[in-house]
Amino acid sequence: MAKQKLQFSPDNPPLLPLSRRSVLQALGISSTAAVLGSGLAQAAGSAAAAPGDAAEPGAQILNMTVNGEPHSLKIDPRTTLLDALRERLQLTGTKKGCDHGQCGACTVQVNGRRVNSCLSLALMHEGDAISTIEGLGTPEQLHPMQAAFVEHDAYQCGYCTSGQIMSAVALANEPYGTSDSDIKEAMSGNICRCGAYSHILKAIKQARG
Amino acid sequence: MHPFTFNRASSTDQAVKWGAAPNVRFIAGGTTLTDLMKLGVEHPTQVVDINRLPLAEVERTPEGGLKVGALVRNSDLAWHLAVKQGYPVLSEALLAGASGQLRNMATTGGNLLQRTRCMYFRDNLSPCNKREPGTGCAAIGGANRTLAIFGTSEHCIATNPSDMNVALVALGAQVHIQGNHGSRVVPVGEFFLLPGSTPQVETVLQPGELITHVALPPPLEGAKSGYLKLRDRASYEFALASAAVVLQIDGGRVRQARVALGGVGTLPWRSPAAEQALVGAPASAATWRAAAEAAVRGAKAQSENGFKIELAKRCVAQQLATVAARV
Amino acid sequence: MAPSTSVTVIGQGLPRIDGPKKVSGLAQYTSDHHFPGLLYAVPVTSTVAKGRITALDPRAALAMPGVVEVFHQGNFAGKLFRKQASKGKVDENRPPLSDNTVSYYGQYVALVIARTFEQATEAARAVKVEYASEPPNVSMRLAAEEKTSVDTERGDVDQAFTSAPVKIDQVYTTPVQTHNPIELHASVAVWNGEQFTLFETSQAVMNHQMVMAQMLGVQPQQVRIITEYLGSGFGGKLWPWTHATLAAAAARELGAPIKLVVDRAMMFQTVGHRTNTQQRIRLGATADGKLNCVSHDYLFHNARLDTYKENCGEATGFLYSTPNLRAAWSFARRDIAPPTSMRGPGAVPGLYALESGMNELAVALKMDPLQLRLANQPERDESLDLPFSSRHLTECLHTGAERFGWARRDPRPGSMRNEAGAVVGWGMAACSWMAKALPAKATVQLAANGRARVMCGTQDIGTGTYTVVAQMVAALTGLPLARIDVVIGDSSLPPGPMSGGSMATGSLVPAVQAATQAAIDEALQAAIEHDPRFAGKAPGALAFDQMQVSIKGEQGKAVLLQDILQAAHMDHVSGEGEGAGSAEAQKHYSQHSYGAHFVEVVWQPEIARLRVDRVVTVIDAGKVINPQTGRNQIEGAIMMGVGMALFEETEYDPRTGAPLNANLADYIVTTHADAPEVDITFLDYPDMTLNPLGARGIGEIGLAGIAAAITDAVRHATGVQVRDLPVRIEDLLDAPVGLAS
Repeated sequence: MAKQKLQFSPDNPPLLPLSRRSVLQALGISSTAAVLGSGLAQAAGSAAAAPGDAAEPGAQILNMTVNGEPHSLKIDPRTTLLDALRERLQLTGTKKGCDHGQCGACTVQVNGRRVNSCLSLALMHEGDAISTIEGLGTPEQLHPMQAAFVEHDAYQCGYCTSGQIMSAVALANEPYGTSDSDIKEAMSGNICRCGAYSHILKAIKQARG
Repeated sequence: MHPFTFNRASSTDQAVKWGAAPNVRFIAGGTTLTDLMKLGVEHPTQVVDINRLPLAEVERTPEGGLKVGALVRNSDLAWHLAVKQGYPVLSEALLAGASGQLRNMATTGGNLLQRTRCMYFRDNLSPCNKREPGTGCAAIGGANRTLAIFGTSEHCIATNPSDMNVALVALGAQVHIQGNHGSRVVPVGEFFLLPGSTPQVETVLQPGELITHVALPPPLEGAKSGYLKLRDRASYEFALASAAVVLQIDGGRVRQARVALGGVGTLPWRSPAAEQALVGAPASAATWRAAAEAAVRGAKAQSENGFKIELAKRCVAQQLATVAARV
Repeated sequence: MAPSTSVTVIGQGLPRIDGPKKVSGLAQYTSDHHFPGLLYAVPVTSTVAKGRITALDPRAALAMPGVVEVFHQGNFAGKLFRKQASKGKVDENRPPLSDNTVSYYGQYVALVIARTFEQATEAARAVKVEYASEPPNVSMRLAAEEKTSVDTERGDVDQAFTSAPVKIDQVYTTPVQTHNPIELHASVAVWNGEQFTLFETSQAVMNHQMVMAQMLGVQPQQVRIITEYLGSGFGGKLWPWTHATLAAAAARELGAPIKLVVDRAMMFQTVGHRTNTQQRIRLGATADGKLNCVSHDYLFHNARLDTYKENCGEATGFLYSTPNLRAAWSFARRDIAPPTSMRGPGAVPGLYALESGMNELAVALKMDPLQLRLANQPERDESLDLPFSSRHLTECLHTGAERFGWARRDPRPGSMRNEAGAVVGWGMAACSWMAKALPAKATVQLAANGRARVMCGTQDIGTGTYTVVAQMVAALTGLPLARIDVVIGDSSLPPGPMSGGSMATGSLVPAVQAATQAAIDEALQAAIEHDPRFAGKAPGALAFDQMQVSIKGEQGKAVLLQDILQAAHMDHVSGEGEGAGSAEAQKHYSQHSYGAHFVEVVWQPEIARLRVDRVVTVIDAGKVINPQTGRNQIEGAIMMGVGMALFEETEYDPRTGAPLNANLADYIVTTHADAPEVDITFLDYPDMTLNPLGARGIGEIGLAGIAAAITDAVRHATGVQVRDLPVRIEDLLDAPVGLAS
């Protein structure tokens, strides 16, 4: 069939093709700086715009606190906590690895407990306090667990790392034993395909003291 | 996911009232339902969030047992002092399941209703009588290495994947259910249904009914219990075979015994034959072996899972020996 | 004069410079990028493996809320083009949605674009597709269906084998394995009417740019590829896959940024896998263990439309000394998606077979497998008739055996116990991986703000490239790593190497060193021209260290480059550098890395439980620039090796051709709890034929050989020789070392 042209309606506002200028702005690229790897990424990350409510019929209100900040969102009930954090709040430190509770990359803390945010509908978290990696510490002021991960090279690609750290920090509130095998079992819900397991173990042991 | 409306129930009465409408699902931990909704296997038009219901307590019963609220999270139940002390088999089974994160989410009621991990059920495409009655069973003659050797039918060989359920069966737990027309209590041994020709019906739960509690009888005097799970990797995987064992030994003889197997049955599989072989017999390696033999009698192998018969046997024998040796 | 930190910075296990961003969630991976007006793309995948699309109805999907467009062959054919054979690399050449033929299960047949991920996902399910399908052939049992090709041959293998006093003749198989980096493949595509900016999950941004430009029908300078952080790839992200071209073309069609994230099931379908292998190994030896022939015949599967070679014979020709040798291969086509390189392609399955054969030969000879290897070390590469550039396999074997305690091994299966009284099995194997370098360019700037910036169109896939590149610059400038900015992961930078074949580091050394030196030369020139204190001096009379210029012998009177540049009204000085790659050196040397693995497994027959408990690995990979990130690479490969040996297998449904266990619960990989204790040693002999630091790559070698060492340990523990990976519980239930022992 013929290509469907974009239908513009109140429910479907026109998508203006980005002008060269606006894309460059969005990308954070100035004409004089040809290469700005990290600056570019930061600019991109901050250029967030939530999809309009009109695009989401059936959307419902959600109030939750993320890293201490209250948020009120109108959200499609199908949205998982993971996608709400990443796609709506642009808190992209939490990662999607499998979307089915099989890898642990999406681990966040809900009211202090570690959970797989991919298997939790966002609307289930009305009134909850969510903690993500962004709330733990910054490069300038790392949480002791984050610092231990850096010191022990407890990652390679870094993609599962947020989940590993959120899981490791939450362990402090869980009555697991302190032996290596106890920690390894307790951390087994966080897959590191790069296999930095012994480094992660060392980091956790150091941070737990 | 199909679109659905989302409502938070503030009371059990409200939940079961809402639950009586067609195509409603209760959501608690979400670890099974969200997963299956993403796969398209579940597609409710209404989701009722029951997380606000007052069902998250573990209480002692007057008889000395425990009444576990349906919303008690698996990790909380596993670490609960009364469970660790009185029902180690339950604590161990819960901790053998899933991962730390999932155990923090998953609930007692939800775990009872965990769906099978059969790959054909989950692919939302293959013939599957459980998902789409009458379409056939792709697992028979297909990839069935992880599937059941007990309780199968020509319509379905899907395994009940839960660890908790196996312990509950061994402990003789009771499931408290509330519906729009009142409450009832079902022994866990009668809660699950064999697939037969209706594998889509997995439990006695009627549409709209809500599990409110699970009651555990008082621990057997002087009994010891434990759970052993065998699987390909060391953690974060469903059982190929598991055994929940409760033994009461007195004067070198087994007085009472409960044996249930996991990972091998279409439902959590209690073995009266194994229990019979144990009761009255000396607490010895020969008895454990005989009970293990009895436990797997009648098992039916599929094309890829015949090894589970031997594996289940070893699992039972080893766990009987382990539990008997506990002080 | 030697810059102050150069003596220490190379070979130091410094923490990664990108670490703080990675642990705080600020490192931006591809799917983390977001733009105003971003739309979500979700592919519709084929539910048959072989056949034709007869009808496709997008109406229901188009009527759903938020849906912007459904692309399919009928409205999309012609939007993408094929690339030329010699310009860039892809594993699937046919552009997506270009015809109605389905050649594998999961092939993209349509693409839904909607305002939210939830809307696009559900709409993708609503696209109705009808197929005329045929029964697929996805059989893993292979027979040579194409002509046999010879990798290398010498002497007369068949005659030598016939007359060999001791011999083994066995077939080893490895199943399809799937890379499964935890980061899903993804594309975020932006088109501004003139240019594409494509955020991609790429192990090779330069190749990605070259391919995408051709497939999109634009000039290379109209395509910019960005991969600032990659959630690993293991080879699966080397070449562009169909989702990337779809996302970019959709962005152009709709004039909106598009995000397309491949889901985990698709990760088993459309972004490659390690092909299965079926390898016959015939080894003959004299009674005292001298190899007189090595024969390695191997088969693997291929897709219908594209041809890939799994080079299992890579190390066969030179690993051992023997007068008679042949490695030959063929393949069979299946209705399966295109395979691709996966960590240590060829050598990993190849050495599983060859080293398993060596272990079985040792059993046949009643000889220690360590001694068998030591007795057959070649003086030179007998296949290429070239000297080895730097080969220390013998020392790897000796060192590993000593650290492991191999001398205490009792060869009888089931004869050994650990401290807890459990049965243990010990096994070992050697390994090898190619050492190559690619041509590369880099630019280094020394700036008036006291910092250095190094720029190169390469990428860090988790191996530590950011950090080792900074170490290279630090070695020549004397700057601390904190003052060196590494800018990579962008195709608009000077062309750098792909992150594949363990070649990135070795390729970068000469380019980054030359660029750094060129920038230093510029700095000295600026000093001579603009600072009266250095006026009239020859560059050779000046020294540069820690961003300070001085006259040699008068280092006490050093002047900050910062001050010199400020006085000269210059922002920075810049130098370009280039590395030629190893093509020339390879005419004169056989360049490879080597290693040895020693493994202990624990076997509990009473519950048929087998676990890898302990691994000792010694690696000869040249100079190791950062031993901390380096050890991590080897260790990670060992973890993947545990998975290869015991867990990993992608299963295909013979009826539908679908990868059945296409998720991380059914395709199981190593967890924390499975991780053995690991002891890793680098021999650290620089290979000066490869680059000025003597550094070879270390990303892949750790996975070579490890599965053979594990199956050898399994045999030693249980008495069961498993030849078809992975080792499963059912293989061991009837083990001779069973309940009775």
